[in-house]
Amino acid sequence: MAAYLIRRLALVLVVVWGTATLAFFLLFLSGDPVNLLLPLDATPEVREQFRKANGFDRPVWQQYLSYMGRAVQGDLGISLRNQTPALGLVLERMPASMVLAGAALLFAVVFGVLAGVIAAVRKGTTLEFVVLFFALLGQSLPVFWLALMLILVFGLELRWLPISGYGVGPLPGLPALANLVLPAIAVGTFSMAAITRLTRGGVLRELRSDHVRTARAKGLSERVVIYKHALRNAAIPVVTVIGLQLGNLLSGAVITETIFAWPGVGRLVLTAVTQQDFPVVQAAVIVFAVLLAVINLVVDLLYGVLDPRVRYA
Amino acid sequence: MNKGWIGFLAGLVLVGSAWAQRPDTIVIAQGVDVTVLDPNNQLETPTANVLSNIFDTLYMRMPDGTARPWLATGVRAINPTTWEMTIRQGVKFHNGEELTAETVKWNFDRVIDPQKPLRISNSWANLASVQVINPTTLRFTTRNPFPVFVTRLTGFYILPQKYVTEGGNRYLQEPVGTGPYKFVRWVRDQQFELEANPNYWGGAPKIRRVIFRPIPEASSRVAELVSGGVDIITNLVPEAVNAVRASGAAEVRSVPSIRNIFIMLNTSGKADSPLANPKVRLALNYAVDKRTIVKNVLGGFGQPTGCSLNSYIFGYDARSCQPYEYNPARAKQLLAEAGYPNGFTMTMGSPNGRYLNDRQVAEALVGQLAQVGVRVELRVQEWSTYVGQILERRIPTDAVLLGWGNNEFDADNSLYSLFYGGTVRGGPRQVAFSYIRSVPLDNALLQAQRTTDPDQRKKLYLDALRVLRAEAPWIFLHQQEDLYGVAKRVDWKPRPDERLFVADMALK
Repeated sequence: MAAYLIRRLALVLVVVWGTATLAFFLLFLSGDPVNLLLPLDATPEVREQFRKANGFDRPVWQQYLSYMGRAVQGDLGISLRNQTPALGLVLERMPASMVLAGAALLFAVVFGVLAGVIAAVRKGTTLEFVVLFFALLGQSLPVFWLALMLILVFGLELRWLPISGYGVGPLPGLPALANLVLPAIAVGTFSMAAITRLTRGGVLRELRSDHVRTARAKGLSERVVIYKHALRNAAIPVVTVIGLQLGNLLSGAVITETIFAWPGVGRLVLTAVTQQDFPVVQAAVIVFAVLLAVINLVVDLLYGVLDPRVRYA
Repeated sequence: MNKGWIGFLAGLVLVGSAWAQRPDTIVIAQGVDVTVLDPNNQLETPTANVLSNIFDTLYMRMPDGTARPWLATGVRAINPTTWEMTIRQGVKFHNGEELTAETVKWNFDRVIDPQKPLRISNSWANLASVQVINPTTLRFTTRNPFPVFVTRLTGFYILPQKYVTEGGNRYLQEPVGTGPYKFVRWVRDQQFELEANPNYWGGAPKIRRVIFRPIPEASSRVAELVSGGVDIITNLVPEAVNAVRASGAAEVRSVPSIRNIFIMLNTSGKADSPLANPKVRLALNYAVDKRTIVKNVLGGFGQPTGCSLNSYIFGYDARSCQPYEYNPARAKQLLAEAGYPNGFTMTMGSPNGRYLNDRQVAEALVGQLAQVGVRVELRVQEWSTYVGQILERRIPTDAVLLGWGNNEFDADNSLYSLFYGGTVRGGPRQVAFSYIRSVPLDNALLQAQRTTDPDQRKKLYLDALRVLRAEAPWIFLHQQEDLYGVAKRVDWKPRPDERLFVADMALK
């Protein structure tokens, strides 16, 4: 187990280094950031001064080496636009992204698992059809459309919930609960639909299996049979998908964060990309690489908890 | 879930929505957030819009485009390269520091320091040195005559010298200025709060508290305005005009902007390119129905133009700036005379989302030019790539759609930057993609930079406009209008320079 963990952690480092390198060169190819920093009529001399001041005048390999040298010490450079450390800008927005991803995941898992179990148990009924219909809808609705419809209905027509922003939460750094609801539904709907379909399939499969027949033969109540014997075994692929979805939820909420003016990392990255603020994009890529690698590792370790047959070596 | 829980959740929901409107607070939503808190190291409208409430400039741009003394009480030209400035007395920064001539000198020295260029340094490259004559008087020496000196002062903010030099990085976290509003706090991507400065030298502002909120999505901004969550939204899209009007709570207010939209034609490419022929370029101008584009694509919010200036800009001349009439027959005839009776094929680039409905304007042009036989292949690109190519002069298309917001309100900023062709000295300007090799034009543009006499300059720009009118290096399109959604309770008129001076606003 310990050897496995060390090997996996080493692999995380390789993944992060590879991602950072790839991002560095891709960004380098995307153009000269000084172009956007200065007005269109700035003289070539002033442009050159700016390139020098930011170190863009050196050969690319030198820039790469000094970047990596500083990166291992935790210095990911200064944002060209904001003139503050890029890593700080990314980390500052991490809580908002995590709260949103967490809320969306909670929404997706609770409703997804529940709906999936209902659809499996009520196979062949209208209820199953309705659940599957909404699951299909949830996976095919574009998120920007869903988000705007949520704003229109709950924000403008009914006026139940705020339209945009983070609000002031019960604790510093946390959003107001009311502000969280609509973005979380918008972000979580796709995952909820995926979890519904997966849970339904898994539970159906387990319900036909030998151990469930045995459990029923022992005279266990249907509730215990479904939740303890069927659902737990059906949960393994669901956990994998949740792990994958968490990555998506964290990094892929760009559209939702933009529409709801949510102060998360996705919105920061989008702005940084359009402004060619390289250090910020780079810092976000590295942070996400670390995060995703760790999430994958945790998911792999969870298999062992769910399925005792899984061994780490 | 028991009843207690439901009550708790309902309570949270109410707390969340109740903070929105207060009688002494105005909430303003722009598309993007402030980036930096140093007003002399930024060039972004949304950032300047917030910071110009905290910091004062030496001169103030008036809504009609003229510049009026502000922290400076006057400027006088001693000779073409020497200026004397007097400073308002008794002005204090929010932290109590006093404004003196020494403070002003330090601010200029900071901007022209070649070791640490700031983003506005480019505008002050002509400034050689600043001397303090006495506590309220300064002398400026420039390398060359500097006719746009006064107009550039409207973009030069005054920071407190001691606070910046002795407080470490604090000035970048808690800005201190002399302006009508004081900084309260800034939570990035959430909100920027200001409060009235009761001791403002120009009199205390009427609105006590200001909140700027960045809301990137245009339709979310409209939804917030209509629901009463915010009082002013910027960059209202023409498609949302009816929704705002129908709401009853807010209205649409617009103002012709300082920005002109145009198509630069590559006149400097191969000699056998059709675009090298002035007749072809004139034909393209006659082939475009600008009125219809403004009406249908911009919802009527724009003015057709026939030159690269507009009425706010010093040097503008109504006659030379008449829009070219829409006359496809004449266009066809000119094309035939130029040797293209069956038209020709060209490529055109356009950004997407940089200017008001830019891509749609370009698409409408493609259709109109096809009517006279000019087949245009449109290439739409994301802004950062697009502008990079233009600056590096490796533009892959024969024409590019671009906008120019003349932030100096002086013809020099538009004409010299965009048309100087390098026939007299030096090379063509960096963005002069459609320069024409005309010695009279280049001479006029250079001389206008070398004289401080306004009448003389006006005459020189008239000469330049006449050359440009005959040569038609661009397809001139329109002057944009800036659209705002404004809650009915707000008393305020939009300004051509896009600034949001809250001190000019009041709540009814």
